[in-house]
Amino acid sequence: MPATLKENIFSTIIIEMRNDLELDAIIEDYLLGKLTPQETEAFEQLRSNDATVDHKVVSHKVFLHKMEQYAEQLHLREQMDKIHAEIDVEEMAATLKPHPSKVVQLWRKHKSAIAVAASFIVLSLVSIYSIQHNSQQAEKVVLLSNQLTNAIKTQNTLIRDIRKTANTSAPSKNANQGRYGGTGFAISTNGYILTNLHVINGADSLYVQNSKGESFKVKAVYTDSQYDMAILKISDKNFSNLSSLPYTIKRNSSSIGENVYTLGYPKDDAVLGEGYVSSKNGFVGDTTQYQVAISVNPGNSGGPLLDNNGNLVGVISGKPDQTEGAAFAIKSKYILEAMRAIPQDSLGKKLVSNRKSLLSGLKRTKQIEKLQDYVFMIKVY
Amino acid sequence: MNNSLKSSVPTDREVILGILNNSEDTLNKLYKGYFAMVLQFILNNNGDEDDAKDVYQEAIIILYNKIKEGNFELSSKLKTYIYSVCRRIWLKKLTQNSRKAGNITDYEDVLAVEEDVEHHEEKDLQFVKMQHALEHLGEPCKTIIQDFYIHNLSMQDICEKFGYTNTDNAKTQKYKCLQRLKKIFFQP
Repeated sequence: MPATLKENIFSTIIIEMRNDLELDAIIEDYLLGKLTPQETEAFEQLRSNDATVDHKVVSHKVFLHKMEQYAEQLHLREQMDKIHAEIDVEEMAATLKPHPSKVVQLWRKHKSAIAVAASFIVLSLVSIYSIQHNSQQAEKVVLLSNQLTNAIKTQNTLIRDIRKTANTSAPSKNANQGRYGGTGFAISTNGYILTNLHVINGADSLYVQNSKGESFKVKAVYTDSQYDMAILKISDKNFSNLSSLPYTIKRNSSSIGENVYTLGYPKDDAVLGEGYVSSKNGFVGDTTQYQVAISVNPGNSGGPLLDNNGNLVGVISGKPDQTEGAAFAIKSKYILEAMRAIPQDSLGKKLVSNRKSLLSGLKRTKQIEKLQDYVFMIKVY
Repeated sequence: MNNSLKSSVPTDREVILGILNNSEDTLNKLYKGYFAMVLQFILNNNGDEDDAKDVYQEAIIILYNKIKEGNFELSSKLKTYIYSVCRRIWLKKLTQNSRKAGNITDYEDVLAVEEDVEHHEEKDLQFVKMQHALEHLGEPCKTIIQDFYIHNLSMQDICEKFGYTNTDNAKTQKYKCLQRLKKIFFQP
């Protein structure tokens, strides 16, 4: 190929390139609206005639748009970076980031769940505490019954000492040598006496003493550890049957606020305690008991709890050591249950058979007068 | 600090109008207004401050483009929209990096913004492509193109900056560069 031709071709390529560049420049000016109206018209003419030019215009337009978007976004990013630099990110992060401590992190993440769980825990702790507290009290009650017996013992010892000094020469069978004791009451005319099981537990021999100071040998014929009840039977030939029982057993349960009283032997003489039913349930919500606002002392255990009409409401069984002036009484319903364990015919004149209490409508002093013959001191040896 | 920032947050209407008018002040307030919210979200979901910055800026760009395109309907709070977009982007990133994305701790209500985020991703692809093309253009072409098309310098400025004897030379150079850029950009 001759050199001139080669140069020629090369120059046309260059010219074409130059034209290309010029075309690009024109297209851009056209797109940016920099051409004069005549030029614009001429160019549009060219564009409609030449598909290649039109294609170039379109592609350049697209490209310019992309470039524009790129520029815009870049600009926006730059602006944001500038703004971002003004923010104290570190300080902000310090307050917002998950706490280094896992505990705090957990707390923040599960705040609400933890709150619920915590309140649940608090609630259960409270209930556990109160249950424990109550059961502690319950334990104390058992302890109290020991204390009670101890107290009785010391009292009895004291009395015995007095008796010893007073009439040592008269060793009567009334001589009080009981180790400890409590109270019991007649549930039949022929010598069945009801008391608390804890009063007679572990006894070698049992005696009851009436208000006149006469003692009778008794033996336990029935014990119920569930309701802490025991039924004793006077087996002494000196015992003569009682006249009909002045009280009846209340079948339904008593209401809170009902006035009640008890007669018991916290010491060697009968002591009256008056009060009212303060709660339908006893320890730990024990439904077999009432709580009674009545001041009782060691020795009152097993005593009858009567309402103003002479109905037997319950049996005094213990007291909470942390509440002054309160006691617990086994509900009368369970007296009936205990009595059912005794052969019905052996009870003779039954307690429940008395429809109307003989004590009803009487003044308290008269009631006590009638009642005291049926309440016994239990002496345990 | 949080409160003072929040108090300066412009209303949603203000933001939209400001964006349409290219207000830098609006951007400033908008950016500062919701960054803490996003930072909190990212930090508490396996991310760091830089992640928060990236995600947040993406979200602002998405919001910008949407408003500029004129198809932003203020059907919910702007705050909720930004939060949702950030959340979506961050979830995607977490799964891409196979980081744990199981238990996301949320701080705001969430909208369905998948479409917007995907739309943005396509656009962003173009952005990255352009960035890539510019990187491969080499000097002085890159700077000339950037100065002219991005920083809006006149040909006269460019001519002086690069020491061309006249603007025609500069123009020719610019068009040569543009041609190469197009070539790179449109390369499959």
